[in-house]
Amino acid sequence: MAPLTVVRDLVKEYSGRRALDGITFSIDEGEVFGLIGPNGAGKTTTLRILSTIIRPTSGSAEICGKEIVRDAESVRRIISYLPEEAGAYPNLSGSEYLRFMASFYYSSKGEIARTFEEGVRISGLGDRLRDKTSAYSKGMRRRLLLARALMVRPKLAILDEPTSGLDVTHAFHLRKTIRTYSKEYGTTVLLSSHNMLEVEYLCDRVAFLNRGRIVEIGTPAELRSRAGASNLEEAFVKVIGIA
Amino acid sequence: MPNGLKLLIIKEVKDLLRDPKILIGMILFPALILPIMGGAISLSTQSSYQSASGSLSILIVDHDGGEMAAALEDFLRRSGANVTVMDGDPAEVAAGLGGGDVLVHIPANLTESMGAGIRGNLTFYINFRDYSFPEFIKSGRVNDLILSFERMLVNQTVSGAMPGSDPSVVLNPLDTGYVSMINGKPQQVDPSLLQNTIMMQSYMTPFVIMIVLILAMQVAATSIAVEKEAKTLETLLTIPVSRLSILFSKLVGSVTIALLATVATVFAFTYYMGAVTSSIVSSAPGIDLASLGIAPSFQGYLILGLSIFAALISALALALTLGTLSKDVRGAQSLIGVIIVPVFIPAIILMMTEISALPPAIQTALYLIPFTYPVLATKALFSGSFGVVLIGLVYMAAFTLLTLYVAAKVFSTDKIMTARLVLKRRQRSPPPE
Repeated sequence: MAPLTVVRDLVKEYSGRRALDGITFSIDEGEVFGLIGPNGAGKTTTLRILSTIIRPTSGSAEICGKEIVRDAESVRRIISYLPEEAGAYPNLSGSEYLRFMASFYYSSKGEIARTFEEGVRISGLGDRLRDKTSAYSKGMRRRLLLARALMVRPKLAILDEPTSGLDVTHAFHLRKTIRTYSKEYGTTVLLSSHNMLEVEYLCDRVAFLNRGRIVEIGTPAELRSRAGASNLEEAFVKVIGIA
Repeated sequence: MPNGLKLLIIKEVKDLLRDPKILIGMILFPALILPIMGGAISLSTQSSYQSASGSLSILIVDHDGGEMAAALEDFLRRSGANVTVMDGDPAEVAAGLGGGDVLVHIPANLTESMGAGIRGNLTFYINFRDYSFPEFIKSGRVNDLILSFERMLVNQTVSGAMPGSDPSVVLNPLDTGYVSMINGKPQQVDPSLLQNTIMMQSYMTPFVIMIVLILAMQVAATSIAVEKEAKTLETLLTIPVSRLSILFSKLVGSVTIALLATVATVFAFTYYMGAVTSSIVSSAPGIDLASLGIAPSFQGYLILGLSIFAALISALALALTLGTLSKDVRGAQSLIGVIIVPVFIPAIILMMTEISALPPAIQTALYLIPFTYPVLATKALFSGSFGVVLIGLVYMAAFTLLTLYVAAKVFSTDKIMTARLVLKRRQRSPPPE
């Protein structure tokens, strides 16, 4: 079976500085794929390119056979992106926000209502969805935004640091949701994270990214084994060479 | 209308109207504060007039004791004033007066001097305590009474010297009348009255246009910067809706808010002006321009409306472009602060003069500013010369298309995420990870 996402020799330069230096990888359908790397390694740039927000300087990427630059509008119909520091419209309630977002993906009232109910279920925010999002804590807002990203059942969910800065309760809820959703609906997930425990728990395969290049790729067990490490964090440190 | 665009427009208007800064600052504040101010001014002015229009008390320190002093005292009493005659130093006596009360000092030998054909001299002492409106009104009323007394003396002198003559004819032998030629037809209208009426209307419209343009620009520039600041733009750029739809929804949302703000401001300003002028100007005779045949035509209003709309869209396109290039709300607002200058300049300059009376360089500069044309359109309402305004419509359309093209280009490239246009120095954005 052909991979769902194929990335080939992706390069991105900002004012002459190379943020991505020819990365190549693929993600199979239903897989949870993790990008790990230090700050400035190129994780967010990769995710933004695949989300069609920015264009690569060279190289190509396809999602479900659709080229991300040429077919950007088609790609946006099958992906969902959760940025690292995403916000919700502060003057809309959580319900309004979910309904508003669902309306872009479906035209029939029934489909919109079904998607909205899915979002309500995923968020687990209950009655608090009636409140304006400006009254939400960071954890609540993140749950709402993850619900927004998953409720439309994307072919590829792109999640940038999904649990960054959250307390244990909210982080646990988000990880569990991502895991469950991927298993139940076969949603393919591409995520970036600094949390090695999270990556080991969630990801089927992981790529170590450093200075714009992929330096290692494999399952968490393969990466541990190749580096002779007892856990993913130790493997990462050994491969990157910062120990 | 595509579904995505409709959704974005509804969201945009809803989001803007729920923003307390916009709802209170742009709509409720002008709608409430201006009428309250007008009402307060009207109330205080009316109470000032009432407190100052009661019976007038005048103190007289009479060092003359002659016939002229007696005539003055008698005249003032017959005019309804409470006259009290006192002795002493006028300055010392005046120091004990109430606020706005007036002391008239009649110097020694007034009767003798005036009898000898020498100009007499009266001195008013006005005791100010709080420099309020009623104090100034009271002193003015005393002055008017003394002028009436003087006129009476002059009339008596003329009648004595020229028995049987009408003193008013002797003093003002010529009467003047004005005929204003309007559209080639003679009209019995004083030019100064005509000027006042037209100027009043010419001032108001550019003022309102300025307010609308500035409000709309602030809303438009902020609406994109808010998406950046609230971190909602990244998500918006990845949902299945075209980027031009996002841009257009911002445009429509800003126009809607600007129109609501304009209605609130115009309504409030009209009430404010009405309250203020009706309380201060007792009789400001206006003239009916329609009866003179120079009332603006329907076509004139149509061109003015088109001109204002084109300027509004130009301003919004410019503001949206700046908003897309700004890092955050503060950055967008500071950029708009600079752009407001060319909005103000044409309105202020053209309120005072005609564009043809300006040096060629300034004329060219004004013609290059799209916001000049609605102001010219307000002037053309009366003259009917819409040639330049029509050319301006074409120019504004071109300006808008060019600016929107720039905004669309920024929106369709990485610049929407990386641009950081700031005042003073250019900063390059730090690239993301």
